[in-house]
Amino acid sequence: MPDVPVLEVSGLCVDYVLDRGDVRAVDDVSFTLGRGEFLGVVGESGCGKSTLLFAVAQLLSPPARVAAGSVKFQGTNMVGMTDEQLAAIRWRDMSVVMQSAMNALNPVKSIGAQFKDAMKAHGAFSKDEIADRSAEVLRMVGIDPVHLKSYPHQLSGGMRQRSMIAMAMLFTPDLVIMDEPTSALDVVAQRSLMVQIKELQLSYGFAVIFVTHDMSLISHFSDQLMVMYAGQVDEFGTTRTVFDRPLHPYTQGLLEAFPSLRGPKVPLKGIPGNPPDLARLPAGCRFHPRCPHAVDKCAQVAPELVTLDEAFVRCLRRQDGSLPAEAGHEGSLSR
Amino acid sequence: MTSPPRAELLRAEHLTRHFKIGGALSHRTLHAVDDVSFTIGEREIVALAGESGSGKSTIARVLARIYQPTSGEIYFEGKPVSQIRSRRDRLRYSGLVPMVFQDPFGSMNPVFRVEHGVLRSLKLHRPELSAQERSAEAARVFEAVGLGADMRQRFPYELSGGQRQRVGFAQALAMRPKLILADEPVSMLDVSIRIGLLNLMAELRDTMGVSVLYITHDIASARYVADRLIVMYAGQIAESGPIEDVLASPRHPYTQLLLSAVPDPRAPLSAAGQADRGEPPKVIDPTPGCRFRWRCPLAIDTCATRTPVLAELAPDHDAACHVAQAGADQVKAFA
Repeated sequence: MPDVPVLEVSGLCVDYVLDRGDVRAVDDVSFTLGRGEFLGVVGESGCGKSTLLFAVAQLLSPPARVAAGSVKFQGTNMVGMTDEQLAAIRWRDMSVVMQSAMNALNPVKSIGAQFKDAMKAHGAFSKDEIADRSAEVLRMVGIDPVHLKSYPHQLSGGMRQRSMIAMAMLFTPDLVIMDEPTSALDVVAQRSLMVQIKELQLSYGFAVIFVTHDMSLISHFSDQLMVMYAGQVDEFGTTRTVFDRPLHPYTQGLLEAFPSLRGPKVPLKGIPGNPPDLARLPAGCRFHPRCPHAVDKCAQVAPELVTLDEAFVRCLRRQDGSLPAEAGHEGSLSR
Repeated sequence: MTSPPRAELLRAEHLTRHFKIGGALSHRTLHAVDDVSFTIGEREIVALAGESGSGKSTIARVLARIYQPTSGEIYFEGKPVSQIRSRRDRLRYSGLVPMVFQDPFGSMNPVFRVEHGVLRSLKLHRPELSAQERSAEAARVFEAVGLGADMRQRFPYELSGGQRQRVGFAQALAMRPKLILADEPVSMLDVSIRIGLLNLMAELRDTMGVSVLYITHDIASARYVADRLIVMYAGQIAESGPIEDVLASPRHPYTQLLLSAVPDPRAPLSAAGQADRGEPPKVIDPTPGCRFRWRCPLAIDTCATRTPVLAELAPDHDAACHVAQAGADQVKAFA
């Protein structure tokens, strides 16, 4: 299948069905992920990033449900598939690395036993095949295979996260979905894990969707970058473009929220306020109550996601050109 | 950047904390903190940086008198802390040196309104206040950390992570502290919220003259608020000095490794660079020698036989590294 993208998401909407009414956590998200591509999804807590991942992996459980749209994995729509149909795809072609390895690994089973479970659940393998493959994937992530006998508590946080990634690699899938796999790690372990993921991706050619709230983390690793706010895509483009010329005020705010190690010290403000409650969204642009550039119109008209200079952006003032190219953004990359 | 010399507030001398591990018959000892000496001045934010397991939190706990030091002494305002005997003096010390914890979700009682913690510590530490004065004081500290009056009556689940962490600081402030021990206060928060908390710490220093021991693994955020930096590795201080000096010319190879791991979106997007796969050692019954030598590309024979001690390499800028002390001005282990 040379021309079929690994993943094609179109018009995906996810609702949480609650007593007080439905809450839309993911609103009309579309993207295409080619073979071996790395997509970064960033945004604050509660903006729908993890819900989006769960919807893509078909892991949503009530009260969440896909309200509209489709998720095509290698050309087949996965929305509405039965569990049996999904089981054939899961782990063999698509695997998931969860945020907290501490919670995702079984504390009373050795790493090897958990690898064996995963392999047995998705195919018939002999004992030797399982042992060989388990040792192989562990070596791939730089862990000595003797740790197959170790229990999760005997490994450091970085090693636990890497063994999770090893488990995701058991069947050399085409798509690996990662939900903040590095957020429990310190900077050095985080860095080494990111480099590891990138190396594996380059040598095995799988596509990655990587969710994080720390934009700086993926700046050097992802091909495409999607910025989410309040369930919607605010900006979408190649990582290079988004970092060099962030168009949406929210993206600019995220980019200017990190203190820098180099250059002069500048007072930073971060983004004032909190993301909105999805059940009580503000009228107009969802970001306008926190936006430094908001005008009256922003409170009334909900902006659409439109193409602008090689990127997609959802901002009224950007679209009508009333926000100058560099407004509020003193070239944060050149600092 | 030179700052006027500050009056000394707290001095730790040869602070050591060991833990017995294993069963009752085991003679193995974990050296969590080994022979650590440092000072914290008045109106000073000192950042204590290092990887997980380097002993940062143990130091905070020893300073907060949660753990007794195995040996060594802490002097607070010139008086040895180990001499504190009476309940009154103990309460006074813990009021002057309160702690703010890492996890804003686990450090608050979910069944009480957030004001409860503040009122309770006021009752305990400042019994002379009437109920009315306590309430007024609670209003003052909530105001000081940037929380509105309506926040006081809320329950923890109604607050965002950033707001809860502000409550943690309000609780510390209620006791009119001299030194706040902040153990990774922002690491569980979204990047966009972190800056607000960092600004709050700087503001408390500038307006109320409170010193802060800011424990973190994120050197970029340390640079943003701190005056001085102490880098810990495996229970010992690797390097310390004025933060701008240390960051401009890090002398210890470990400091260089930490700096190289910080993601910098403003740096040109380049190849990912080398990955360090090492892990900080668990220091169990250590033999002499530098504890970083297994990960250090510059290690020489002396490193395996003699434990390096801190020596001043530039004004007020110390490092514990044989190679750096041998006069190699251009120690460059990790770019």
